[in-house]
Amino acid sequence: MARTMTNFKRCRRCAGVLLAVAIAVLPTAALGAAARPDPAIAAMQKKLDQSLELIQALTERVRELEAKQAAATASAPPAAPATAAPPATTPVAQPAAAAQVAVDNARLEADEQKLEQLEKANASRSADETGLPLHGFADVGIGTHNPINADLKGAYVGNLDFYLAPRLGDHTRALFEMNTEVGSDGAVGVDLERAQIGYQFNDRATVWLGRFHTPYGYVNTALHHGSWINNSLRRPKFLQFEDNGGIVPAHSVGLWLTGSTHTGGGKFLYDAYVGNSQAIIGGALDQRNAGNSDGHIGGGVRLAYQLTGGAAEGLLLGLHAFSARIGDDALPAHVTRVLAYGGYAVYDTDAWENIAEIYLFDDRDLYGGTGTHNSRAGFLQFGYRAAWGVPYARYERTLLEQSDPYFAALAGGGSYHRVALGARFDLDLKSAIKLELASTRLTDRTLEQYGEGLVQYAIRF
Amino acid sequence: MRRPGPRPGAWLFAVLLAGASGAATTADLYVVCNANVALQSSDVRDVFIGEKSFAGSARLAPADNLAAQAIFLQRVVKVGIDRYTSLWTKKSFRDGANPPPVKASDAETIAYVRQTPGACSYVQAPPPAGVNVVAKF
Repeated sequence: MARTMTNFKRCRRCAGVLLAVAIAVLPTAALGAAARPDPAIAAMQKKLDQSLELIQALTERVRELEAKQAAATASAPPAAPATAAPPATTPVAQPAAAAQVAVDNARLEADEQKLEQLEKANASRSADETGLPLHGFADVGIGTHNPINADLKGAYVGNLDFYLAPRLGDHTRALFEMNTEVGSDGAVGVDLERAQIGYQFNDRATVWLGRFHTPYGYVNTALHHGSWINNSLRRPKFLQFEDNGGIVPAHSVGLWLTGSTHTGGGKFLYDAYVGNSQAIIGGALDQRNAGNSDGHIGGGVRLAYQLTGGAAEGLLLGLHAFSARIGDDALPAHVTRVLAYGGYAVYDTDAWENIAEIYLFDDRDLYGGTGTHNSRAGFLQFGYRAAWGVPYARYERTLLEQSDPYFAALAGGGSYHRVALGARFDLDLKSAIKLELASTRLTDRTLEQYGEGLVQYAIRF
Repeated sequence: MRRPGPRPGAWLFAVLLAGASGAATTADLYVVCNANVALQSSDVRDVFIGEKSFAGSARLAPADNLAAQAIFLQRVVKVGIDRYTSLWTKKSFRDGANPPPVKASDAETIAYVRQTPGACSYVQAPPPAGVNVVAKF
């Protein structure tokens, strides 16, 4: 009898705790569902409902057992002293009741195990089991000029960019990005922007193989495709993507080692890569995705230090350099040993997003015998995260030597300067409207100046 | 003879727990990890913004707890939900890292941390046995 009572007490305690947990879980689960109407949350809510049904069944079972216990107590004699001999009354009914209790206990234990399995199933549910998440960005806009090709005016379709980052294991990582964009002729093109598979040794080192964002400066890796990510409406003109007039290879195909480590009051970050030397095809840099015919390789390094505490928290200072042997498709072809180096500074906090980058070029003409050519490019941008939006101002300047066969072969290789004022307004967590007023002056190939008024609607999903 | 049904103490406990998990804003916040995870409290912020992925040889699997996320972001990460979302969007796009999954409550969070190797999260109610409390904020 004492054991039976213990079992009953355990059941009652169990039911009480389950009820407590259920009542505690319900409001927060409801809050979560209301705040984020997600299919995964709905599935979890369904499982919680199942848990509650199970708890209700357990409670009913406890009540039933208590009623039986009460009946058994009523038919039994008053409790005897512990040392007394067992009572001789109801010699048949008592073993039967005990057997029934044992069956009930076994059933309860089975229910508890079921509940535990349910809990485990809920706990282990993750993105791995709910499919591969597909993320992306898209933007459209309208303006007095197209933000990329100033010869075009009116409304435009920007990019539709998808990327996948599957969870593969403790150390293997992968990242794939497909971008759909509309060219100047209105045709839709699809580019495999990134296709990289990597091995992460630890927090200090990851090695990637494939096509990746070339690690130089800040903008090219932190604010690449995906207009929503960028507070400004567009990248600096000279840092545009290869097929949009960029003068620096935004992508590379090769091997990339990257990582960081905490030191002192900050973090040291490094990147080093080697890859196929690019080529200039039709006035645009081509990354040679399938390899190049001459087997030449290029490479570069980027070193930076980021302050993670103190008054200057959010300040990032870096140096970068890269070199590649780049030929073009002219007849006769030119080949240039491109050497670019420079530095960058970023102050990124809750309030500020200030970015400065500078690139110095010492390009050597390998076939034409015109010697070494020096050029430079850079920009400075100030942004402030106000409560109502993010106003920004940017100044860009390039001085590109036109006798350098590298810049001469690039469609976007002319010098210019641009002043831009703009603002970003976040409509919600996933969409933003950006406005920009800009004045651009081309300073060597053509002497032209034009103003732009641009509007962009950018989303992420 | 006891009357059938849960004891008053159980109801009181339920009400207190519901209040604690649903509305408390000044309560303690416990950062808990799976028993196999050894983590310094100074590393917690880095774990939840994706800057730290390993604790020794263990791959970390942080999860957000929707019931306590606002307080956690305010006290530990020191950013608002907008900035936190933006940080993870950039991180995910740049590095291929995935943001932490979101659990709905302390109970679900504790179950996830108990069962998942490398898991770390945070709860408002004092955590039960079976998890490793690495910090209290």
